[in-house]
Amino acid sequence: MIDQHLAAEALTRARAGGADFAELFAEDTLTTTLRLHQGEVKDAGGGNLFGAGLRLLYGTRVVYAYTNDVTPAGLRDLADAVASARGGAGEPDRAGAGGLDFRRLDARPLYVAREHPLHTAKRDKLALMRRAHGAAAGVGDVKTVDVNYLDRVQRVLVANSEGLWAEDERVWTRLTVTAIAQDGPRRETGFDGPGAGQGLEFFETVPPESVGAEAARVANAMLRAGYAPAGRLPVVIGNGFGGVIFHEACGHILETTAVEKNASVFAGKLGEKIAHESVTAIDDGTLPGSWGMVTVDDEGMRGERTVLIENGVLKSFLADRVGELKTGHRRTGSGRRQNYTYAPASRMRSTFIDRGGETPEGLIRSVGDGIYARRMGGGSVTPGTGDYNFAVQEAYMIRGGEIAEPLKGASLVGNGAQDLKNIVGVAGDLALGQGMCGSVSGSIPTDVGQPHILVSEITVGGRA
Amino acid sequence: MTTGPEEQLTVAEARAYLLDRARERGVTLEVYGERRASTNVRAFGGEVGEFKVQTRQGVALRALVGGAWGHSFTENLSRPALDRALDSAVENAELVAPERGAGLHDWPPPPALDLHGEGLSGVTAEQKVRVALDLERVTREADPRVVSVPYAVYQDGDAEGLVANTEGLSRETRQLYALQYVSPLVSEGGQNKMKGDWQFTREFTELDPTRTALSAVERSLALLGARPAPSGTFPAVVSGECLAELLAIFAGMFSGQMVEEGKSPLAGRLGEQVASGLVTLTDDATLLRGLNSRPFDAEGCPSAPLTLIGEGRLAAFLHNAGTAARAGTRSTGHATRQGLQGTVGVAPSNLRLHPGTTSPADLARGVTGVRLTGVEGGHAGANPVTGDFSLQAEGFWVEGGETAYPLEVFTVAGNLLDLLADIEAVGAELWFTLDGVEAPDVRVRALAVGGG
Repeated sequence: MIDQHLAAEALTRARAGGADFAELFAEDTLTTTLRLHQGEVKDAGGGNLFGAGLRLLYGTRVVYAYTNDVTPAGLRDLADAVASARGGAGEPDRAGAGGLDFRRLDARPLYVAREHPLHTAKRDKLALMRRAHGAAAGVGDVKTVDVNYLDRVQRVLVANSEGLWAEDERVWTRLTVTAIAQDGPRRETGFDGPGAGQGLEFFETVPPESVGAEAARVANAMLRAGYAPAGRLPVVIGNGFGGVIFHEACGHILETTAVEKNASVFAGKLGEKIAHESVTAIDDGTLPGSWGMVTVDDEGMRGERTVLIENGVLKSFLADRVGELKTGHRRTGSGRRQNYTYAPASRMRSTFIDRGGETPEGLIRSVGDGIYARRMGGGSVTPGTGDYNFAVQEAYMIRGGEIAEPLKGASLVGNGAQDLKNIVGVAGDLALGQGMCGSVSGSIPTDVGQPHILVSEITVGGRA
Repeated sequence: MTTGPEEQLTVAEARAYLLDRARERGVTLEVYGERRASTNVRAFGGEVGEFKVQTRQGVALRALVGGAWGHSFTENLSRPALDRALDSAVENAELVAPERGAGLHDWPPPPALDLHGEGLSGVTAEQKVRVALDLERVTREADPRVVSVPYAVYQDGDAEGLVANTEGLSRETRQLYALQYVSPLVSEGGQNKMKGDWQFTREFTELDPTRTALSAVERSLALLGARPAPSGTFPAVVSGECLAELLAIFAGMFSGQMVEEGKSPLAGRLGEQVASGLVTLTDDATLLRGLNSRPFDAEGCPSAPLTLIGEGRLAAFLHNAGTAARAGTRSTGHATRQGLQGTVGVAPSNLRLHPGTTSPADLARGVTGVRLTGVEGGHAGANPVTGDFSLQAEGFWVEGGETAYPLEVFTVAGNLLDLLADIEAVGAELWFTLDGVEAPDVRVRALAVGGG
C-alpha cells in the first residue's frame, strides 16, 4: 500500500514544522461478522477498514492526524495538515534525529494462523455457530439463543523517523453465545465468549459446543437464584474471567496513560509493597495465539512479558513511547490502539494474577460465610481515584465453608489500591478469559486471568 | 499490504458508482455514506498535550436478495474496493434467512433542521486550542485542592451523511457540534475524587470554558469528606443526571428489535400502565440542541417526535422499517447504524423524561435516605433483558430532607421498571447528559444500597 519512498516523504514532510519524531501507521483490515438468532442467520456483514495516521511528537506533546485517502496525494495532504496543526520548536529526539534509511524489524510472528479466516468460507463459519447453538438451545429452561462470530485480519505498517519499518498481520477469531433461560416471568442470561489470536483451528481446542453449553449452564443456574445480599463480605472469585478484578482495579492504573496524568494511586510506588505477598501479577504479550498477543505493538516494538507485581512488590508499569518520555518508566511493548483513528497508548495485553499454592476448595472452606463469584461480567474503573466496579454473572452463597444457594444481581465495588491488599489467598488453577478493553486508544482485545482467589473483604452490592 | 494506491472516490461519487453497478446487476441496494472532519485538543499542565485532526469517510452497503439483507462496508473508496464491497453484500445476503418486511422505501421528505449553524470555517486552530487551555487553567487555579486535571478537552465535528437506494431515495444532511469537557482530580485528607462537567453547542462562539471549569471543580469538591454508606433499603432522590444515565443504559427495552427477539421486559405490554402516572417519556430526533438530532434515520426515514410512555402508560416502541412491518405498524424513524461497521438496528435519538412541578426542597422534604447523583458500570452491572441493575453509585446521605454528607463508593440495586413505578414526585428542572438523554430529579419510595 505504501512504499518506502512515499513513507519517507510523508514523515519528512510532517516533520517540517520542527517535530522531534514522526510516525506513520497504515492499516488495511478485513472483518467478518455473523449472527445467529434462534438458529437462523440474522446478520452477515463485515468489510474493509482502511486508513493511515501520522503522529508527531514535540517533546511530549502529541499531534495526530488520520485519513482514509492512502494515496500519494492523500498522504502528502495528511503530512501537511499534521505539520501545520502545531508549530514551534521541540526538544531533540532522545534517540537522535534518525535518517530515513529504514531498518526492517524482523517481526517473526509468535503464531501463524493455520485455518486463515480469509481462506475459510462463511458457510464453514456458520457451521461452527450452528454447533454452538445446538449445544445451548432447549437445554433446561433456555428459550433464546444468540450466537455471534467475529474475525478480524489487521495488516499494519509502522514506519518512523528513527528509521523503523515494521509490518505485521494480526488475526483474531471469536465466538460468543448468549443464552436466555425463562420460566414464566423469571428470565436470566448466561454468556460465554472465548477468542484467540488464531485462525479457525482455535475451535479444535475450544469446541463450539462447549461455548454453547457453558452459556446455557449459567443461564439455568441463575434462573431461580435469589438476590445477593448487600454489604462487606469475604468473596472467593473464580478463575479465568474473574481476572477482570485485577484488570479494572489495578491494571489500568499501572498504565503510564494514567501515571502521566498524576491520575494513578500507584505513581511513585515502584519497589514498594502494594499488595499481599501472595500476589504476583503479569502482563504478557508473548503468549502464542492468545487473544492479547502482541508480535509487535502499534509503535513497532516487540511485545514482551512484563512482571507488574512480584510477591506484592510493584515491579513495573506498562509504558508506550509517550508514557516513557513523560514518566521515565521504560517502554514495555504495550503501545496499542484499536485502529488508525487512534494514537497509540499504553494498554494491557494478557494480564493475569499468577498461580499460588492453594486450592479452590481450600479457599472456599476457609471463608465460613461469604460469596463465591464463580463467573464475572465486565467492569470499569475511575483512574484518578482507583474506584472500580464489576458485575457478577454467576454467584453463590458460601455457608459454613460450602457452596450454597445461587445469587443474582451481585456487583462488587471497591478501591483498587485498598482491595489489592485484601487478596489473601491464591489457588493454582490459572486460566485466561477474553474481553474487549475500552480506553483512550479505543477498544482492543485483552485477556484477563487468574486462579481462584480469596478477597478477605469487599463491598457487595445486592438487594437482599 | 494487499491494496494498491488506487484513486479514491468521494463519498458522493462512491454512491453514484455503487447505485449504477447495482442497477446494472439488478441488485436492490441501499448506500449509507459518512464523511466527518473533526478536531480534538487536550490540554494538560498549561500546554497542549494532544492535538488531533481527522477526516474519516466511507460507505456502508445493504443489498436485498431473495428477501434477505446482506451488509458490508468499506473505507477504501477505490473502484475495485467498491466492487468487492458490493460482491460481499450480495454474498452475505445469500447466507441470511429471508426476513418478512424487508424492503427499501422512497420516504417522504424529512423536516428542515439547521444542525450546522454558522459552521467552523472562520474558527482557527488557535481559537480551539485557547478553549482547551482556558478550560484547564481555570480548573487548575480554581481551588488548592485540585491536584491534577486529567481531562480538559475541546472537540468539534463537522459531518456529512447520505442515504440513497435503488428505489430512488436520495438524502443528504450536514451537522456540526463543538464540545468541551473537563474533569479535575481533587484531593483532601487522603481522599481523591473526580467529577466532570461539559458543554455541547452547535455554535463555537457559545462555548464558555470558565463556567464549565468552575462547575466541574464545584461538583468534584462536593464529593470530598465522604463517609461510608450504610447498607439497606432507603427512600431516595435520584438526580436528573443519574436518572438519565439509567434510562440510557436501559433504552434498549423500547427497541422494537429487542421486543421482537424476546429481549425486552416491555414486550406485549403496549397500552399497559408500566410506570407511575407522573412519567412521560418521549424520543425526539428533531431537537436543534439534541446530541443525537438528525433529519432522517439510517434508512432515510424522516424524524418525528414520538411518545413512548404517556402518563405512565406504554404508548409505543421504537421501530425501523423492518421491525415496524413485522409488528404491524409504521417505522418511527429509529433505524440506526453504529458507524459504518454495524448492521441496521433500532435505537433512540434524544430521550426525554418530562419535567414535573415539584421544587427541589419539596422533592427532598422528609427524606432520610440517599441522594443519588451518578452510576457507573452500566455496561456490566445492568441487565437490559430484565431491567435489573446493581451498579457502582455516587451520592449523598440525606437527613430529614437536608443533604448531610457525601458517601464513599457504594452500590445501588433495583429494577428500572420498579423504579419508574415507584416515582412519587418529579422535579421541574431538566438535566442533560452526554448520552443525549434528559431527565428531571425524582423521588422514589425505596432503593437498595450496599455500603461498607
